[in-house]
Amino acid sequence: MGRTPLIDRRDFLKAAGAGFAAAMAPTAWAAALEADAVFATAYVRHGGGYGAAVLSEEGKLLYAVDLPNRGHDVTFDPVSRRAVVFPRKPGTVAVAFDHTRRERPATFACPSGRHFYGHGVFSPDGALLYATENDFDNAAGMVGVYDAGGGFRRIGEFSTHGVGPHELLLAGDGRTLAIANGGIETHPDFGKAKLNLSTMRPSYVLIDRLSGDLIEKHELPPELHKLSIRHMDVDRAGAVWFSCQYEGATTDRPPLVGRAARGSELELLDMPEKVLNRLRNYIGAMAANREAGTMAVSSPAGNSYVVFDTASGGVVSATDLAEVCGIAPDRAGFMATSGAGAITRPGAASVSAPDYVWDNHLLRIGGPA
Amino acid sequence: MSRRLALALALPLAFVQPAAAAVKASDVIARAVDGFVRPAYAGLRDHAVAMAGAMKSLCEAPSQEHLDAARERFSGLVEAWSTAEIIRFGPITENNRLERMLFWPDRKSIGLRQVQAALAAKDGTAADPAGVATKSVAMQGLGALEFVLYGNGADTLAAADDPYRCAYGRAIAGNVEQISAEVAQAWDKPDGFAATWETPGPDNAVYRDGNEAVTELVGVFIEGLDLIRDVRVKGFLGREPGADKPRLAIYWRSDNTARSLAANLAGMDALFQVSKLGEALPEEDRWIAESIHIQLVNGGDTARQVAGPIDAALADPARRALLEHFSLITSSLSNLFGTRLTAAFGLTAGFSSLDGD
Repeated sequence: MGRTPLIDRRDFLKAAGAGFAAAMAPTAWAAALEADAVFATAYVRHGGGYGAAVLSEEGKLLYAVDLPNRGHDVTFDPVSRRAVVFPRKPGTVAVAFDHTRRERPATFACPSGRHFYGHGVFSPDGALLYATENDFDNAAGMVGVYDAGGGFRRIGEFSTHGVGPHELLLAGDGRTLAIANGGIETHPDFGKAKLNLSTMRPSYVLIDRLSGDLIEKHELPPELHKLSIRHMDVDRAGAVWFSCQYEGATTDRPPLVGRAARGSELELLDMPEKVLNRLRNYIGAMAANREAGTMAVSSPAGNSYVVFDTASGGVVSATDLAEVCGIAPDRAGFMATSGAGAITRPGAASVSAPDYVWDNHLLRIGGPA
Repeated sequence: MSRRLALALALPLAFVQPAAAAVKASDVIARAVDGFVRPAYAGLRDHAVAMAGAMKSLCEAPSQEHLDAARERFSGLVEAWSTAEIIRFGPITENNRLERMLFWPDRKSIGLRQVQAALAAKDGTAADPAGVATKSVAMQGLGALEFVLYGNGADTLAAADDPYRCAYGRAIAGNVEQISAEVAQAWDKPDGFAATWETPGPDNAVYRDGNEAVTELVGVFIEGLDLIRDVRVKGFLGREPGADKPRLAIYWRSDNTARSLAANLAGMDALFQVSKLGEALPEEDRWIAESIHIQLVNGGDTARQVAGPIDAALADPARRALLEHFSLITSSLSNLFGTRLTAAFGLTAGFSSLDGD
């Protein structure tokens, strides 16, 4: 995979189905791309260079775009069918691309005095893009608002009411943003140094994306102030699940997964000690499979991912996979990608692309789940 | 080659050295603990004891001689800490010890202002080790002690006119001694964290196999080199001389910036050598270990040539070039560890996770 042309159309068509494949015209190929689920992720090439890829369910590279810096998460707008890949912090340049190739990739930057945190989300109509950002001189979390129809011009910003925001998502009402304020202060002058670990106070906030008003803010109990809330997804019942990375002692075993319901305190999930040990105080990504009623969390530090039943909160499975991080719903389970180049999915042999380090997040785009 | 090693690593605790005896992960870790971690923390504790003793002498009999002695002890303590601080997991992560030992960078000078406020108000609750231990982390460790010994007004320590300043400094030294002793003791415990690291396995709460234990060790180098280059050096060494920020250099007040950088690399070299991690490499990859050793020594030597106040060093093109060269050496080392060594071992070494995102 690594040294062949990035888009192996023949292989893709073979995988897409026998008979018609050979004669499939480019438009039909595009249609196949529309109908089937595809998965987007940022990557690092071992040989050098950063990019974002769209993979088929079979793990074939369907589309790739170069990135100026290391990417992090990808967000997708089903209206315009465009995706945006954000840089990992402290990157300042995001890239919008259309994996069906109707448009050329476009880059846009956050303003000076800000950097991206790696996550963003479109408004339901695709008109606006919201991104978590750092007002680093003031150590203040911000959401940058971009005009998606106008070349991603930045048209505003509002506070996240916390430090170090990471993932954000849009609630089912299409109006409320849920934001994980990780609580960790960093500044580009000092690389990745965490500047406030002894006093960090992560929070989970709900913000009206139209007014920027704070609707709710929740913190963890003081003894868990080093539990950085970082990633989220919504389960089948509409509840927001969140997952954490712990900045305290190596041998502490705090809970790492929780649920947030409107108007209620954050709820942390108990899990068996053996399962918790697998997560090594570090969850790198989480994703729901709403059809299956499950939620997966991945730990590259613990080399495993764990799937929960979202109704009961019980553990469904725990799977070993070296350096796993990217995770996305696929059929009745999850597709997972790793820093060692592996792509695994339910009921199929895993694919290896050893030249690729798949980055932290994997996004499912389209297709029946 | 890398696949063969990856498979071997996946076996319980063993990674195999072709054409030689098997190298067990648990042996590598045991050598790292006994040959580096325990001695490094013991050295830190001894230097902290000496520091506290020097502060006692200074406070009981203030004189220039005793001030000079305390300052010399401080430089020794910085060197001992800079050797040990490359270990950033285990007991040092408990009770905010890492930040209490050294709160740095103090980007908004919050810590500095707290120290200055305590000195101005002669805050009696900060004048004994137990009291200091309850204060903000910035008031407890090496940064605060450096200000006491070298910051504005420090020369009054040589006379009897500022007993509070000395008492606060003595309290910090006592607190550092206490933290150092706790960490050394925690690592020395036979059933403590050392045992956890040395005996990976399915029932181990932290390291489920030898790969994870060795990855922790390799992470010391990968994360440490990142910290040295991107945080410690890049924080004050600009892209061009006009962009230098000497007052953002760690330990600039005591002229210990370069000494600390050199000790960081010396610690890494000691750890790399005593763990014999390089001996787990197959014959054809041994050059990686040799290159690592050469570059760690080279980097330490380079830093040691940058003597004196850091602002003067930055203003001197020859010494400034040494700092740039030091930074390049750390980049080369990052490549040797992060790409070459990990590939040879079939480890991915936390490409995502070590970045913390």
